[in-house]
Amino acid sequence: MKIYAYGIIDSHNSLKEPIAGLEGKGIYNVSYRDIGITVSELNEETKEITDTYILEHERIVERLMEDFTVLPMRFLTIFNTKEDILSMAELYYEDFKDNLARLHNKVEFGMKVIWPADTIKQRIIDVYHKTKHNVSISTESPAKTFVKEKFQEHIIEKEFQEEANRCIAVVDDYFNKIACEKKLKRLQTENLLLNASYLVDKQRQNDFKQAFEQLKNTPGDLKFLFSGSWPCYNFVTLTKKVASFDYFNTEDMLNRLLAQQGFAKERNAV
Amino acid sequence: MTMNRTIETDSQEAFIEEIEKVQDVLPKRIDANPKNVEKGLAKLVLTLVELIRKLLEKQAMRRIEGGSLSDEEIERIGQTLMKLENKMQELKEIFGLKDEELNLNLGPLGDLM
Repeated sequence: MKIYAYGIIDSHNSLKEPIAGLEGKGIYNVSYRDIGITVSELNEETKEITDTYILEHERIVERLMEDFTVLPMRFLTIFNTKEDILSMAELYYEDFKDNLARLHNKVEFGMKVIWPADTIKQRIIDVYHKTKHNVSISTESPAKTFVKEKFQEHIIEKEFQEEANRCIAVVDDYFNKIACEKKLKRLQTENLLLNASYLVDKQRQNDFKQAFEQLKNTPGDLKFLFSGSWPCYNFVTLTKKVASFDYFNTEDMLNRLLAQQGFAKERNAV
Repeated sequence: MTMNRTIETDSQEAFIEEIEKVQDVLPKRIDANPKNVEKGLAKLVLTLVELIRKLLEKQAMRRIEGGSLSDEEIERIGQTLMKLENKMQELKEIFGLKDEELNLNLGPLGDLM
């Protein structure tokens, strides 16, 4: 029997009300000092991880958040024994305590922004051709023609990146004063200008939503995907990194566990 | 759902497409079997070579932009960059690799290139 973990909570007590976990198994709290790791048992035979499991994991983490501060585990965090869980808790205890204090009464919001990359780039190219440049490279040889083309690409790309930064700053400005912390991923694809996560105090959720309402009503050609509130999946930070005990919240851990468990399907993001 | 959840967009399909692109950039785990181990190694080595090539190119463009290169130096740099790019193209074709495959996921730091 394997043990499936949902999150670290700020209590070492047993759960007051029964909560059903994956496969209908009851969730219980494995206590370590004054914190706990909420888990349920998982059948050895479980090989197929479906979207239903992901939604269940999310539902359970949210249910736990009603009663506790939760450091949500990544989907598919599985331990072999209770001793493994306690070893992990012992190793990361200080980190867990720091995170539980930092994330107390906080939620996460997601903000994705698409911009019309092709249009932006074309606009930059048009301006480039109309502008007189200080640098002049002749085309008297294939090598110089090559450099000239590369130089043009370089200037256009540079301007594209600067335009992206300007645009991201405008979007971020709407949320910056409301959020406690943020994680901004820029240009993950040419069109996906921004993939941001904001950590927000529970009391300021409405302010955050209103900021989005203001942003989306501004004229422009940006597209938005706003989501939240979520458990703080992106804001748990661990200072200690030990490969053999790296169970918590890392892609490597997930990939390793997936391989160990022989699950046929890869993890899907919640 | 127990939380006060909002998911709002007027361009659902566009976002699904972009998110799938982000997730598809790299395989979730290394598929190392005897049949493709050679390609896997080539991918790793060529990724690093491509990184160095791009850094060289970027540095050269910065120097041109700064106006610190003579005509002769631009000619020499042009020849070097052309040869490097052609050689990379050949190697990619030999190992059946596409441009978008030459990358490494550095975990929290994102992709290498």
